[in-house]
Amino acid sequence: MPVISLQNLKKVYKLGDNTVNALRGVSLDIEEGEFVAITGPSGSGKSTMMHILGCLDRPTEGHYLLNGNDVSNLSRDELADIRNRQIGFVFQGFNLLPRTTAAENVEVPLLYSRPVLPASERRARALEALRAMGLTDRAFHHPSQLSGGQQQRVAIARALVNRPTLILADEPTGNLDTATSIEVMRLLQELREKQKITIVLITHEPDIAAYGTRIIAVRDGIIISDKPNVPRRVSDEPEALPLAAVG
Amino acid sequence: MHSPLHYLLLGLTALLRNRLQTALAMLGVTVGVGALVASLALGRGAQESIKDQLLAAGANMIVVTAGNYATQKTQGTEPAADHARFTPPVDPLQFIARLAAARRDLLARGYAAHNIDAALRAGAGLPVSAVASTGRLQRVHFEDDPMAEHDHPTAKERLGDSMAGLGAAATLTLDDAVAIREQIPGVQFAASGVHENARIAVDGDPTRQWFTRMHGTESRLPDIRRGWVFPFGEFLTERQVADAEQVMVLGRFAADKLFGAGANPVGKRVILWNQPFEVVGVVGSTSWAQQPAAGDDQFDALYIPVTTVHRLLNLSKLNTITVTTASAGDTTRIAGEITALLRQRHGIGEAMADDFTVRTQAQEMLGKGLSPELARIVGGNLATMEQLTIEQLSTSLQRANRTMLALLAGVATVSLLVGGIGVMNLLLLSVTQRTREVGLRMALGARRRDIARQFVSEAVVLCLVGGVLGAGFGVLAANGLEEFFQWSTAVSPLSAVLAIAVAAALGVLSGVYPASRAAQLDPIGALQHE
Repeated sequence: MPVISLQNLKKVYKLGDNTVNALRGVSLDIEEGEFVAITGPSGSGKSTMMHILGCLDRPTEGHYLLNGNDVSNLSRDELADIRNRQIGFVFQGFNLLPRTTAAENVEVPLLYSRPVLPASERRARALEALRAMGLTDRAFHHPSQLSGGQQQRVAIARALVNRPTLILADEPTGNLDTATSIEVMRLLQELREKQKITIVLITHEPDIAAYGTRIIAVRDGIIISDKPNVPRRVSDEPEALPLAAVG
Repeated sequence: MHSPLHYLLLGLTALLRNRLQTALAMLGVTVGVGALVASLALGRGAQESIKDQLLAAGANMIVVTAGNYATQKTQGTEPAADHARFTPPVDPLQFIARLAAARRDLLARGYAAHNIDAALRAGAGLPVSAVASTGRLQRVHFEDDPMAEHDHPTAKERLGDSMAGLGAAATLTLDDAVAIREQIPGVQFAASGVHENARIAVDGDPTRQWFTRMHGTESRLPDIRRGWVFPFGEFLTERQVADAEQVMVLGRFAADKLFGAGANPVGKRVILWNQPFEVVGVVGSTSWAQQPAAGDDQFDALYIPVTTVHRLLNLSKLNTITVTTASAGDTTRIAGEITALLRQRHGIGEAMADDFTVRTQAQEMLGKGLSPELARIVGGNLATMEQLTIEQLSTSLQRANRTMLALLAGVATVSLLVGGIGVMNLLLLSVTQRTREVGLRMALGARRRDIARQFVSEAVVLCLVGGVLGAGFGVLAANGLEEFFQWSTAVSPLSAVLAIAVAAALGVLSGVYPASRAAQLDPIGALQHE
């Protein structure tokens, strides 16, 4: 059973008298453990696809099966539950809460999961996720005290804390320098290889897309190419730095 | 649902982000809650003050006076019944004839002419016009003027003197007071009293003198007269009364007249009837309705042991016995029992009139402050009015109080409303500022109600802190009003709890709209919000 199955997905926006066909029939299956990079220029529909895949938006037409369940017509609150339990988001701008420690940021998804976890359990799981990202000694720092790479690793820890089956990364390296970008991509690759987590990456940079096992190109609301890829390895990078030096 | 602490911390964290705006919005709530607490304190204070005033006025007081105001009575025991209807004034000519006859009678018995005239003028404390209009001239005994030389008929000789004027007859004795105190259930205190006008002077300085009311009394009088306070010294002791000592308690007004305003006369000596008396105390009023004033009979007065009066003036009579009942509702029954007891003790037969008058304070109060004409009409109808008076008085006072309270509550409500609008304004600002955070929380799985709860708890925390501060300020304001304006206030713990509950409710109300705006945000739009 594919983790994601899109069946003739369409999305139409109405802007005044104009209608914008953002997606014009997308069909796609993503299996467990795939690292799919979705690329395309701005206005191609990749953001709309990302929103629907992330259960932030509903398709106008067609079906979206997440782990075999049709989520195309769920209510807002039902979608919130799906996002909480099955999807981990990594955003371009990190989207960490300011004046809030790394541990508290990582705990946020746990605040909304039901049954409600006791505070001590939330804290333990947040610290565990931060440890997995190598941030144990930064757990009680505020985002402003962290480097860009550390902030993005806090965001990844937050995406992982509720043990989702799917990670959605929207331009995760957009605000990072090259060395840090490579480090973040290495982390995502590790997640896929060690924990079999399915990853969908949205990017407009071909060299970032190259880290995926499969690259899908979108243009004008349809898939124009869908090819398997031999993922680029961090060790291939001549300028690769050891993890400790990245921070 | 998380624990309340979770939402409290969440709210606090958010509020600390906009400190100035938070402080201003909180100020609004503080003012509203403070106004509420202060107005509740004022309302309660007014309520208690009314109660105090009523008790100070003696709702539970019965005064037994020697002699019978209703002279022609032949049957029954209720003097007031004789006045059940308004009696038209008698012919003035007839009145003058009776006056002249009384004067002749007294002259014939060897009394000095000027004493007779003074006594006639004094009457029963009523203006001549009132005496005239009642058509009843009382025979007045010159022993009521202690400055005159006289012999003293004993009370026994005077018993049955039902023709005597109110307070002038010598029909009551100390034993009567003891009997009332000991034999009638429900009687709280009974104090004997002899009352005269008296000239007093500072010992060694005869130029400092004052003409005032002398009350011979017992040590329990302060228990009867509520609303008394002793700025200097204390009241007569039981011992001083038992030993007939020459000690004196001055009313505040009389003390000020003799020794200068505010002076402490305790330990000084005052001359009364050419005898030295040591001042042991000064009595003042706690009541705003009864400030010491000239001729008020309570504070323009002096108090000495009744036994001392009897010893020095060689008397055995009492003018009054003042009785209080344990319960204010009991006065009518106990007044009846006192009448029965005294009739029996004085050996008054079925067909004879009382030689004393029993009046409840309700009757006294109605008469006070009315013009003599009006007082007489009221007095004439007292039998039916008595049962209403105190309750009606208190009802009308409370009605006035409720009006004031409603006004204050209105002010408090408006302040709270304005405070609530301030909070709502801050919350709307907060929602706008944190649109991105809302979007993030939604993406991470927050449902609409989670978002709504977050903002409502922010408003509630704000209002609770403002409410606690406001309760504090309200208490301070109430104390200030009491301190500087002498308004009576009473802060109850309940009103503080109520105020804080109102603040919490205000938080929920003012938080609901901004919270629902936040909850309705579209997650994608909110996430992309800059």
